[in-house]
Amino acid sequence: MNKDVDISVNFSGIGLANPVLTASGTSGYADELADFMDVNSLGGFITKSITLKPRKGNATPRIVETDSGMLNAIGWANIGLDAFVEEKLPVLEKLSCAVFVNIAGETIDEYVAVAQRLAAEKAIAGFELNVSCPNVEKGGISFGTDPAQVTEITSAVKKVSGEKILMVKLAPAVTDISVIARAAVEAGANALSLINTFTAMVVDVETRRPVLANKTGGLSGPAIKPIAVYLVNKVYNEVAKGSGIPVLGLGGIRTASDAIEFIIAGASAVAVGTANFIEPGCAIKIIEGIKKYCACKEIANIKELVGSLEVS
Amino acid sequence: MSEKCSAANKGVFSAAVRANKQLGQRFYQLGLEFSGAGAEVFANFKPGQFVELDVSGTALPPAEAIPEDLVDVSGRKVLLRRPFSFCDVTAKKNKTFAEILYCVVGPATLRMTTLTAGDSVSIIGPLGNGFWVPESKKRALLVVGGMGAGPLEHLAKVFTADYPDMEVIAFAGAKTVEELPFEARLDEISQQLGFSLGEFAKYGIESLVATDDGSAGFAGLVTDCLSEWLGKSDLAGENMIIYGCGPEQMLAQVAEIAKDKKIDCQVSMERRMACGIRVCQSCAVECRVAGSNETVYKLCCEDGPVFESREVVF
Repeated sequence: MNKDVDISVNFSGIGLANPVLTASGTSGYADELADFMDVNSLGGFITKSITLKPRKGNATPRIVETDSGMLNAIGWANIGLDAFVEEKLPVLEKLSCAVFVNIAGETIDEYVAVAQRLAAEKAIAGFELNVSCPNVEKGGISFGTDPAQVTEITSAVKKVSGEKILMVKLAPAVTDISVIARAAVEAGANALSLINTFTAMVVDVETRRPVLANKTGGLSGPAIKPIAVYLVNKVYNEVAKGSGIPVLGLGGIRTASDAIEFIIAGASAVAVGTANFIEPGCAIKIIEGIKKYCACKEIANIKELVGSLEVS
Repeated sequence: MSEKCSAANKGVFSAAVRANKQLGQRFYQLGLEFSGAGAEVFANFKPGQFVELDVSGTALPPAEAIPEDLVDVSGRKVLLRRPFSFCDVTAKKNKTFAEILYCVVGPATLRMTTLTAGDSVSIIGPLGNGFWVPESKKRALLVVGGMGAGPLEHLAKVFTADYPDMEVIAFAGAKTVEELPFEARLDEISQQLGFSLGEFAKYGIESLVATDDGSAGFAGLVTDCLSEWLGKSDLAGENMIIYGCGPEQMLAQVAEIAKDKKIDCQVSMERRMACGIRVCQSCAVECRVAGSNETVYKLCCEDGPVFESREVVF
């Protein structure tokens, strides 16, 4: 059995110690998780969505549990760019793992302004462009479902991103996700992350009202995992592989074998989302599990596993 | 307790189940035991703080034991942890014992009923800020609405142990006598007006019961019972403090009464939450900003769950 397994990842030029990140909106600004894990042990960390101005977020209830999943409609509640720079960047600067800032906005100018302000910050490895959030009235998913808008927003942000890598987070509920993925890559995206949540609704049969104050929310958790694996494989085969762009796979990952499914399907790295709410330290267990799997299967370098799906 | 207390050393701990006693048709009390690091951490658990309990892997009760109104939801797979406060905490040498009062309302609490002595459960905690006791208060009024009894029973215990000069009175309300989450002594409850509940009496604390339908004690809302009682009180508002835990509508009325009588008041808020550790951002509580008409969303999990009532926008 090969004990010296290399699970480090070259993610579009960014060196990740391992392929496991925590997903945006499920791990705060990093300091929240410090009681439960050594954040530096992660391959990378993705902040919650940062917008130009602070946002209060939606009214409550903001979440509801579903069968093997949950809906959330937080509405980009965040402290805004200025407070992020002042209060949270100093915390992120101390991290040795790769830090990605998730950027959101109602207009392209807002995305550009956030990227521009953060482009020179050494603490940040790259940006994740949130063009797929289902829980806001303007922006979010309204950009991510239209290839022309994805092109426009990706190239606008790319222009001001300097050395930072630009990852575009894709919405799953589109006619052909590869069309959107291609639009992002052709406009300069260095990586793709997928999938964001599915727009969904839970109805209270007593009141005949939606349970969430926002009426709809984004479905996440184990319930969406098989769809996410399928979409990662599709985007890997149809867009990413040919253009040499890495895919960050996410959607319902709770265990190492969940993560390995995504990697076999074509993800170079994965992100843990909803599972952080239940087991805040589970990303570390997943890293250990991936190492163990590679050792057992005599995989010397995790690269061998990426997109190794057998279909013949 | 005199200072606003925050959670320290929170983490994931495992606890052993000691007992799981049925108190009423839907009410149970789960006894837990922490050893090792957990014993130390939970020995300092403050009334009003809470934990997140994982029962996703716990079995359902047999079909015949599932109440009819929960049959449809019972099969739903539980994903998230559930937040609970403790109604009693006892620290002994190397062990800390804690009790959770719970009501069977859905797939997770239904599963909890099958936990038996010796089972192990995963718990994240201690979480949030508990109740605190400002200086110069002479009388504390505990206002319980239904399942809000848990943290206020714990607070009652702390008052008895640490604040022997404080006069404490409990007010407990529910829709009907069956919905009072106390050990069944229905005959006594229904017969007496100035009834003393065992859960508070054991700490030497007098309690008043109110039921909306008049099936026990004061006939009406617990807040009306409180108002009536305060009308006869001779103590100035500034010497009193109200602690409330129960449905939001009740807390809103408690807050009104406190404002009217110029009594300090702390309320324990409840919100749907996925994590309890500030990362999901779902448990928003709208709060006033002092000296402004603006409001902000604070998080029930870490900014609360106990808030000063004047701060909360009900």
